[in-house]
Amino acid sequence: MVATTLQTPPTRQVPSDEPALKRRPHRLSPPGLPWILPALVLSVGLIYYCIGYTGVISTWDWDGISPNPEQVGLENYLKMVNSPVFWGAIWHTIVFFVVTFTAQTVLGLLFAVLLHSQVKLAVVYKVIVFVPVVLAPAIMAPVFRQFYGADGQFNWILEHIGLGAITQPWLGQSSTALWVLMAVAVWQWTGLTFVLYFAAMGQIDQSVLEAARIDGAGNIRTIVSIIWPGVRGTTVALAMLGAIGALKTFDLPWLITVGGPNGATEFLGTIIYRQTIPNYHVGYGAAVSIVLLVLALAMAILLQVRGREKVTVD
Amino acid sequence: MFEARSIQAKIGLQLLVTLLAIPYLLPLVAMVQGSLAGKGWGNFEAVLAVPGLWQFFLSSVIISASVIAIVYVVTMLASFGFAKLHIRNKEVYFWLLLACLTLPEVVLLAPLFATAISLGVYDTYWSVILPLAALQVPFAVLLARNFIDGIPNELFEAARVDGANSFRGFIYLVIPLTRPIAAAILIFTLIGAWNNYLLPLVFLQDPAKQTITLLPSYFIGQFSNDQTKVLASAVLTAIPEVLAYLFLQRLFERGLAAGAIK
Repeated sequence: MVATTLQTPPTRQVPSDEPALKRRPHRLSPPGLPWILPALVLSVGLIYYCIGYTGVISTWDWDGISPNPEQVGLENYLKMVNSPVFWGAIWHTIVFFVVTFTAQTVLGLLFAVLLHSQVKLAVVYKVIVFVPVVLAPAIMAPVFRQFYGADGQFNWILEHIGLGAITQPWLGQSSTALWVLMAVAVWQWTGLTFVLYFAAMGQIDQSVLEAARIDGAGNIRTIVSIIWPGVRGTTVALAMLGAIGALKTFDLPWLITVGGPNGATEFLGTIIYRQTIPNYHVGYGAAVSIVLLVLALAMAILLQVRGREKVTVD
Repeated sequence: MFEARSIQAKIGLQLLVTLLAIPYLLPLVAMVQGSLAGKGWGNFEAVLAVPGLWQFFLSSVIISASVIAIVYVVTMLASFGFAKLHIRNKEVYFWLLLACLTLPEVVLLAPLFATAISLGVYDTYWSVILPLAALQVPFAVLLARNFIDGIPNELFEAARVDGANSFRGFIYLVIPLTRPIAAAILIFTLIGAWNNYLLPLVFLQDPAKQTITLLPSYFIGQFSNDQTKVLASAVLTAIPEVLAYLFLQRLFERGLAAGAIK
C-alpha cells in the first residue's frame, strides 16, 4: 500500500496555494493545535483540574457535602504524618513492589525463555499464564477469599503434599495476609510480564545467541549475558508499571482483606477510599491523594532517569 | 532459547514449565469447583434467575464501548497532530499529557465526587465514562504517536500535492495505516474499562446501572454470603472475558508487544 501510493505521480491539478507553501517551508505542516485540542481538554483538562481541586480540598476539613468547608491549612497533612496507618501503608507499598516485581520478573523471564525453547503445547501454557491478566481483580477476589481461607483449597493442597504442619488461616492473621495479596498480584500480572519479555526476546539477534553457543556458553550463561541485557528496556518499563501499580493498589486489599486484619494490608488507595467515601473525611483523603501523586511522579522520573543512565553506560 | 538436545533434557524442560504453570491454573480450578459445590448446576440456575443480572453486563458493555469510542477518536486526532502537524510548543503539550500516565485514579476520587454531585452527573454512566477515558488517553496517545511518527512524511506530502487537505490525509492515510496500533489501543482500553472497579463503586449507586465488577458484592448481599453462588456468579462473569481473550488472542499479544517494543 505504501509503495503504490508513493509511485502514483501527482497527475491532478496542483492546488493554488502550493507556491505559497514552498516559499515558507515552515508552513509545510499545517497547524495542528485543533487536532490535539480534544485530547488536551479531556485528559489534561479533567485531570489537572482534579489535581488542583484535590490540592485545595486537602487544606479543608470537609465532609464532601457541606457548602462551607472549614479552612484548616496543613492540619490534614500533619494528621497524616502522625498516623501509623499512613506509614504502615507506605511500608506495605514498598514491600509489595519489591516482592511482586522481583517474583514477576523471574517468573515472566523464565516462562518467556522456556516457551521460546522447543516446548510442546506452548499455546496452552501461554493461555494459562495470560488468562489472569484479563480477569478483573474484583471478580477474582471472592475466589481468593475462599482459596486462602482457613478451610480453603490452599490448605487442602498443603495437607496433600505433606506440608500439613504449616496450614493456617492465611488471610486471618496480620503476619501472612500481605503475602497472600502479593501472591494474588503475582498470579494476576505474571502473564503481562511474560508476554512483554516473550516479544522482546523475539527481537534479540539469533546469530548472537548462536555465536555464544559456539563459544561454549551454557543455558544459564546465555540468559545472564545475552538475554537479560537484551530485554533491559522492557525491564525498566515493567519496573515503572510495577511501581505505579503498587502505589495505586486498591481492588485487591479492599475486596480480599478490607485493609485488615489490624491494618496489615492497608495501602494508600484503601486509606483514600475509606476516608473519602464511607468516613466523609474528604479533606484528609485529598491530602493522602496529593502524597500519592507526588510519590508516583517521583518514581516515574527516577526510573526514567536511571533507566536511561544505565543504557548509556552500557 | 534453551537448548535441549537429549530426550531427558526435553522432558525436563516440559516438566519444569508444567510445574511452573500449575499454580496459575489452581485458582481457576478452585473457582469452578467451588461454584459447583453443594447444589451443582443449581447454583448457576439460581444466579441466572436473579432479575436484572443482564443489566450488569449491559452496563459494562455500554461503558466499555463508549470509553473505547471516545479514546479512539480523541487519540487518533491528537496523535496525528503531534506526529505530523505544526504546533508551537508541541513537546510541552505532549509532556503535560504524559505526566497523566503516572496518575492513579484513586487520586481523582475527592474532586470527581464533589464535581459529579454539583454537576448532577452522579449515578449516571457519564461519571464513569469520562474519567476512564481521560485516564486512558495519555497512554493511547503515546503508543499512537510513536506509530504515526514512523509513517514516512513523503506519503502526506504526496497526498497534499494531490490536493488532499489534512483532514482527508487523516481519513485516507492515518486511519487505515494505524490499524495495528489501533488494535493495541482497543485491547488496553477494553481491559482497563471492563475491569475497572473503583469508579463504578463510587459513582454508580443504582443496581440497574452497575457494572459486572460490582456483581460479587451484589451477590454477597443477595445470597447472604452463600459462597457457592458467589463463586458461580464469578464464573459467569469470567466466562465472557476468557472467551474474548481466546478469540482475540493474537490481537492481544501483538497489541501488548507493539506497546512494549517502542
